[in-house]
Amino acid sequence: MTDGEESVRTDGGSATAGRGFTRANLRNAVGRSANKLVLAVVVLFLGGPIILTLVASFADTWQGVLPSGFVTLRHWSTALGIGETVGVQRGVGEGLAFSVMLATGGMLLNIIIGVPVAYALTRYDFYLRDWLNAFAILPLVPGIILGVAFLRTYPEQSGTALTLIIGYSLLKSPWLILTVQSTFQSMDLRQLEESARSLGASWPRAFLRVIVPNAQNGILAGAIITWTLAAAEFNFTYIVYTRGPRPFAIFLFNNINNATFLQAAAAVSIYFLIVAGAIIVLQFAGNKGFSTAREEA
Amino acid sequence: MAEVTLDGITKQFGTETAVDDIDLTVEEGEILGVVGPSGCGKTTTLRTIAGFETPTAGQVLFDDENMTHVPPEKRNVGLVFQSYALFNNMTVLGNVAFGLKMQGVSEDERHERARELLDLLDIGDLADRSPERLSGGQQQRVGLARALAIEPAILLLDEPMTGLDAKLKERLQREIGSLLDDLGVTALYVTHDQEEAMVMCDRIAVMNDGEVEQIGTPREIYERPANEFVAEFVGTANLLRASVSGDRLDFGFVEADADTLPVASGEVTAVVRPDDIDIGSGPVDATVSDFYYVGETVRATAELPDGRTVDVELDRTMDDLSEGDQISLSFDPSRIHVLRPRAD
Repeated sequence: MTDGEESVRTDGGSATAGRGFTRANLRNAVGRSANKLVLAVVVLFLGGPIILTLVASFADTWQGVLPSGFVTLRHWSTALGIGETVGVQRGVGEGLAFSVMLATGGMLLNIIIGVPVAYALTRYDFYLRDWLNAFAILPLVPGIILGVAFLRTYPEQSGTALTLIIGYSLLKSPWLILTVQSTFQSMDLRQLEESARSLGASWPRAFLRVIVPNAQNGILAGAIITWTLAAAEFNFTYIVYTRGPRPFAIFLFNNINNATFLQAAAAVSIYFLIVAGAIIVLQFAGNKGFSTAREEA
Repeated sequence: MAEVTLDGITKQFGTETAVDDIDLTVEEGEILGVVGPSGCGKTTTLRTIAGFETPTAGQVLFDDENMTHVPPEKRNVGLVFQSYALFNNMTVLGNVAFGLKMQGVSEDERHERARELLDLLDIGDLADRSPERLSGGQQQRVGLARALAIEPAILLLDEPMTGLDAKLKERLQREIGSLLDDLGVTALYVTHDQEEAMVMCDRIAVMNDGEVEQIGTPREIYERPANEFVAEFVGTANLLRASVSGDRLDFGFVEADADTLPVASGEVTAVVRPDDIDIGSGPVDATVSDFYYVGETVRATAELPDGRTVDVELDRTMDDLSEGDQISLSFDPSRIHVLRPRAD
């Protein structure tokens, strides 16, 4: 059969082999275009507000459909406490640095506890394993409830960095455990562990030198998710925070609650930039720190 | 290298007995194959030697030293897995040098030794590659190099050729078997492929249901199977009931002198291998009931006068047979192996 030659289909239709106008070709062409259109719409729908917010933060005013009066840094200055307006926050820089420290602390605590937990749940079969699995990956309580519980149980610790770090870690641990567990499930953990142990590595060395580096992608993804969620955790922070440098969530709340929309846009943009920076740093640190594929032992 | 002995090893998982009171010795410098159907206990036996299973009873001895409760990382055993289990976070060189690093060998020395092994296995040019980018055969060689690098007391191979294509498997069997022989490695080779065991191993242990049915050289296992299970599991076998009368075997359709007989009289089972039966002028008349060409040989099933059937393996030039043909069979009495009656 050559290009363009007609053949009779057993279903009563007809098709032309190769290129040319056929029902199958038309379906493919329309399908591909429709896919691209849907993808573009979704990206615009989800990404559009973020991009618009970032752009608007550099606008002087937003009265009509789109912001206007570019470019101004007035709103950024106000959000960062550099400008002089009502509701200005002093020591914003210190607060943002404090938040980075809190989110990082929560993330590290999650990794230290969550990775071994995910490993145990994947690798071993033990009594009540399914219950522990459910317990580990379900978000325990809302941030407000946990915050009230902390205040009641440890009133002398309220508002301290340690409380916030522990709270963030508890609240965000299911995301890390679930992500890392998924990675572990795709690995042959038993054979990797036994292979390392047969070569003279103790269990802890096998875990740290072989298992964890081979799961770096999952751990990194879990770390990023944990960090970004912890950085923006509002409910728990609002209940527990009492004094000292203001965490991210409070910073955003103040800027959204007590300021103009464009100042809020600047605050949100600052948050996006810090989160993006953190993700880049974590990616870099993760690839270097795990020292994978190029390690020569 | 060491001599490894399993002395009265039993392993139970709950109420299930995976290994039942087995005695096994892997002599120094020997490659002992362990074959058997799935679930017969061969992998449990291997894992017991490695230290990943603690026996319910019995002892594991390395040169008379009791290793039964010694953790795996202290036993100095080299493991080669079916799925290779290479460390993707390290290069090929890193994988092979890993065990040496755990032993505290300096970086220069362990890299030098690792490269020597890679060259020995013809994969020296892959040292800087990531294991994920290797073919199955290359990964298998890396796994072997990694296990050999630590100069293990015993090398344990758990179905290492599974998943490789037939040609590659054949080539690796020859190469690896030859290498292990040259190095004088003590090894336990677990496989479900009897032919692979025969090619690679000095002796073979046939396991079934947690027990060792027979241990012997490949020739002994094939030509002198201890029982019906071994006869049928290793290769193809015709199991023919016969009665012993003096020094003759009476099959009913023919009588034959027997080379050696385990009993003076009574009913026995005779093992006749398909390749020990000839077609041509012979005392046994039969009818071809099935016939198929398998490339190197031709296989046929022939129906005997009393209704029993035998499998016959012939040279591929004899491919002019067809179903229903009347043929004459003969077999060399010296090739018949008579099984000792079971003591029920």
